[in-house]
Amino acid sequence: MSVSNLLENWSDVRHTHPVDDVPHTPYKWAMSIDLDACSGCNACSVACYAENNLAVVGKEKYEHGHSMHWMRIERYWDEDGREFPDQGAQFLPMMCQQCEAAPCETVCPVGATNHTPDGINSQIYNRCIGSRYCEANCPYKVRYFNWYDYPTTDNVWPAEMNQQLNPDVTVRGKGVMEKCTFCIQRVTVAKNNAKNEGRLVHDGDVQTACQQACPTSAIHFGNLVDPESKVYKQWQAQQVELDKDEQTKDKGTEEGGVSPEGEGKLRGYRVFEELRPYPSVMYLERVRESDI
Amino acid sequence: MHRFIRLSVLLMGLFAVASSYAADAPLPAPMTEDDLGPAIEQPIEFPHNRHAGLRNPDDPTNSDPLKGGMEINCMYCHTFARRSAVAGIPPLQKCIGCHQSIDTVRDKPRIKKLFEYWDAKKPVPWKKVHDLPDFVRFNHERHIKRFIFQQNRPVQEACGYCHGDVKTMTVARRSKLLSMGWCVTCHEKEHLVTAEGGIPVGNQAYWYSMHKPPVDPSGIVKAKGPNDCSVCHK
Repeated sequence: MSVSNLLENWSDVRHTHPVDDVPHTPYKWAMSIDLDACSGCNACSVACYAENNLAVVGKEKYEHGHSMHWMRIERYWDEDGREFPDQGAQFLPMMCQQCEAAPCETVCPVGATNHTPDGINSQIYNRCIGSRYCEANCPYKVRYFNWYDYPTTDNVWPAEMNQQLNPDVTVRGKGVMEKCTFCIQRVTVAKNNAKNEGRLVHDGDVQTACQQACPTSAIHFGNLVDPESKVYKQWQAQQVELDKDEQTKDKGTEEGGVSPEGEGKLRGYRVFEELRPYPSVMYLERVRESDI
Repeated sequence: MHRFIRLSVLLMGLFAVASSYAADAPLPAPMTEDDLGPAIEQPIEFPHNRHAGLRNPDDPTNSDPLKGGMEINCMYCHTFARRSAVAGIPPLQKCIGCHQSIDTVRDKPRIKKLFEYWDAKKPVPWKKVHDLPDFVRFNHERHIKRFIFQQNRPVQEACGYCHGDVKTMTVARRSKLLSMGWCVTCHEKEHLVTAEGGIPVGNQAYWYSMHKPPVDPSGIVKAKGPNDCSVCHK
């Protein structure tokens, strides 16, 4: 491919999502996570380990930064000057944000990570050559690299434990990058079932493992272009739009935003919105004591 | 200066020697679509041709196994192909279901062996012939719904796209390449989505590709099969 051809047909070569000529139809998978409901119990993380054949690497490798938790709970302390016991931690489940203009996708030398038409940032393990460029370019640091051949490493899946591996998900070998896929194996099954019945996937047909395990139902997953879906309704209620890099919540009142105080306060935000990766996960801010 | 020339000559010589050795090594024969996969020895030499082969019109009683088959539908035994992602292996009950009332072949060695398994209450340990890599997700149900039930293509033709002409085989043998490039050759073909007048074929009114396919003035829409990596790779 010549440079002139590359420059002339740039829009075909590098498609930024979302774009007008390629609208999301009939699916755009998205999530919303209510941080006020999240109690930091880590059930989502454990469910993810079970569903997606994640290796439990052990303390030593964890300290070297080789952990494989696709879904991790980040812990923050309130900043209102109180001392430890009264300080109050708050939690934020962080996994791949399935960016619409994903920084990881553009840098993969072999196209192992790419965008699906239904808005998932897919990772094709058998294509990955392990350059780790995507990991370096991910602003959320949610990509995990297989530094060892975990299927053959002792104590990761000792004998008979390998019987509990999920057959719908590849067991990754050494030198492969991996990350949250929005449980694409479940999405695929739901889409196939819907196609067989000649319909679209209804809201609730597919749950991600983390959503299913969450005891407080903090996580919602669904089709953002389906007006009947819970996720769509939540994004609408919070006035969060997929293709904006600044939401109503962050605009001042004079620019049409709503009052930051009071009952109708907007809580929805997306992490690192200003970097314009257009992430597909909306977080609902925690309601602080000072607000009540 | 001479040292550099000497070094480069040495390297070139080394490269030439190495490449001539490499050229001598026997290369694996290039696989074509018609090449057969490895012959697999099954516990019972199951005659697919006898069961699924075409009837011999000159022999209405179908007495000679070398000349005619029964034309049994593939999906009679491989019943899960149309119901799930994996086709599964027919259970022993399926074989016995028919063979317990077929007395004419009861004393044949293969049928005797079949009943030995039945009496021992052991399944026949059939071996897998069409084995895809673990990172591939293939859905039998979708392909069968699409081609047999929605487009009314003959069963043996539709199954044969991937499994070859099984009705002429005894023990099944892989006769298609089953590589990714081979799969893609079919997924790149334009398949019918809506018939004339814009009637969707079997409720198939939507498609999953980046670009919407063009609509013919008569309402016929053809679209390629899914070509998204994550559809087939898990």
